[in-house]
Amino acid sequence: MNRRYITRRVLYGIPLILGVTFVSFLLMVYFGPDKTYELLGKNPTTEQISEVRRALGYDRAFLLRYGDYLRELVTLDLGLSDSSGEPVSVILKRTLPVSIALVLPGFILGNLMGLALGLLAAWYRGKWLDKLVMSASVVGMSVSFLVIIIGLQILLCTPYGLNLFPVRGWQVHDLGSYLYYVTVPTLALVLVTLGYNTRFYRAVMVEEIERDHIRTAQAYGASPRELLFRHVLKNSLIPVLTRIMFSVPFVVISGSLLLESYFGIPGIGLVTFNAITSGDQPILKAVVGLTGVLFVLALTVNDMLYSLVDPRVAKP
Amino acid sequence: MSTPALAVHDLSVRFKTGADSRHAVDGISFSIDAGEATALVGESGCGKTITALAILGLLPDSGVHVESSAIEINGRDISGLTGSRRREVLGRDIAMIFQNPGTALDPVFTLGRQISAVYARHCGGGKEHIRQKVIESLEAVGFSQPQDIAAAYPHQLSGGMRQLAMIAMATVCKPAVIIADEPTTSLDNSTRAVILQQLERLRTLHQTAILLVSHDLATVRQSCQKVMVMYCGRLLEKTDCESLFSHARHPYSAGLLSCIPQISDTRPAMINSIPGQVPAAGEFPPGCHFAPRCPRVESMCNQSVPALDTDKQQAVACFRPL
Repeated sequence: MNRRYITRRVLYGIPLILGVTFVSFLLMVYFGPDKTYELLGKNPTTEQISEVRRALGYDRAFLLRYGDYLRELVTLDLGLSDSSGEPVSVILKRTLPVSIALVLPGFILGNLMGLALGLLAAWYRGKWLDKLVMSASVVGMSVSFLVIIIGLQILLCTPYGLNLFPVRGWQVHDLGSYLYYVTVPTLALVLVTLGYNTRFYRAVMVEEIERDHIRTAQAYGASPRELLFRHVLKNSLIPVLTRIMFSVPFVVISGSLLLESYFGIPGIGLVTFNAITSGDQPILKAVVGLTGVLFVLALTVNDMLYSLVDPRVAKP
Repeated sequence: MSTPALAVHDLSVRFKTGADSRHAVDGISFSIDAGEATALVGESGCGKTITALAILGLLPDSGVHVESSAIEINGRDISGLTGSRRREVLGRDIAMIFQNPGTALDPVFTLGRQISAVYARHCGGGKEHIRQKVIESLEAVGFSQPQDIAAAYPHQLSGGMRQLAMIAMATVCKPAVIIADEPTTSLDNSTRAVILQQLERLRTLHQTAILLVSHDLATVRQSCQKVMVMYCGRLLEKTDCESLFSHARHPYSAGLLSCIPQISDTRPAMINSIPGQVPAAGEFPPGCHFAPRCPRVESMCNQSVPALDTDKQQAVACFRPL
């Protein structure tokens, strides 16, 4: 890989991070929860208000507060949670691994299966197999995630069904217990995302299959396997990688929110959800900031991966 | 009489649209001897490229119906081959050069890798042997630094160089027949000359039969011995190049010839063209397909279809040839 290209990408990331954090901080300060009135009760005096505001640092200039926020993000010294009094960094350290462990298998499976089905549908485009896969995808996309989650819970986790897995909870200490708790959420995540993934990957693959160079390879005797797994797949890596990289931050934070609240799993999604409802600003600041940073990171890594898979980027 | 390198017997291509089907290519036959270049000319949309793709069996299998009594390469019929038996032939016995070198090569693999994949597939051999063959074929089309070209990706080369690399890929297994589908259309004049020279050289060197699909009669005159004029999926005239250019017998051929822009001292008063348009497949008139645009049309032309009088040296399908 080209070192100058990487350096440039990383440097481009810095203003992006500044911009993202600035906008989100702006929104939080002017539209987010204000703790003053929560602390003071119903009839505070003007002195009391200004005193609390000084104590909270609300009276300082906006840019100074933004500076503090940046320092907090860089040092990961994110203050204490309003509701539990625990350091935010400790909460994140405890919950983030849980969320990642929760969504990772479903994320990988959902993308791999979507890729395989998309490739299959694209190769047999217009034939009955394609129609079958595509109609199934539409059905999958149309069924509400609530139905999928609750349906799976009834089928797999209750005496009405197979009663093999727990409905809620996350007491993971080894591989066996991990599989015990992760199986049903994984199935749910795969079923919820598979339709979208399959449709996206099919569209990408059809576009690649219909490119001129595929016909050239065919004219020189390339087998369907070579066409698909060498030419089509390698060429489609750019849109595929982009989709995967960009869904990473989304899946870790919001995808897990859905699963965690329905399966009662103490991950970062649940923490965020609770922080939103209780107005726990230190946690919100941390999550919003880190999501932004994660997005920019994903973007930067994505650009670097381009140079690995596309010679037009690496060797202009 | 020796076996021709490529012999096509009674090739038809029909596109199925709903209940009815339309002829895009209608029962054409021709043969090309080894070491001979034959051109297939005609306006855009008259079935030239479809003919080429049908010979290789590259048309999509749904909605398209290809029929022929035989397509022979050096006497061996390939028309019934499917699957891996057909893939064996493609690139080894018959190869195709495509119109647009910008998109016809895979952008994410080096040229060396793409050419060696073709050689490895059909001829095999050790890694070093294959590499040697790739370098040789790149050298044969005139690259002075074949190693650099082999290591390059398509986007790093100019259009002309890509087309030369494409020719190297087509010739790496020394096929008996090469079909070149408008190989120079997207290139400038001097690059075109280079490409044509290389094709010419390889044809005489390996005794390859070349089917040059083109709408550019100047190119055809430079590089072909024989020429077939195609219109609406049929051959209207089949002859050697010299006779066509000195005396075209079919009014359509004469029309095409009159459209070649001339470079002269004075600016031409007008640019010639054949009046009317090529009808779409399925909308062909009942008699001679060219009748509605023909200056020599008479009542008979609108009623029955003239056959190609193949027994003549300069075969023509016309009731009132010139």
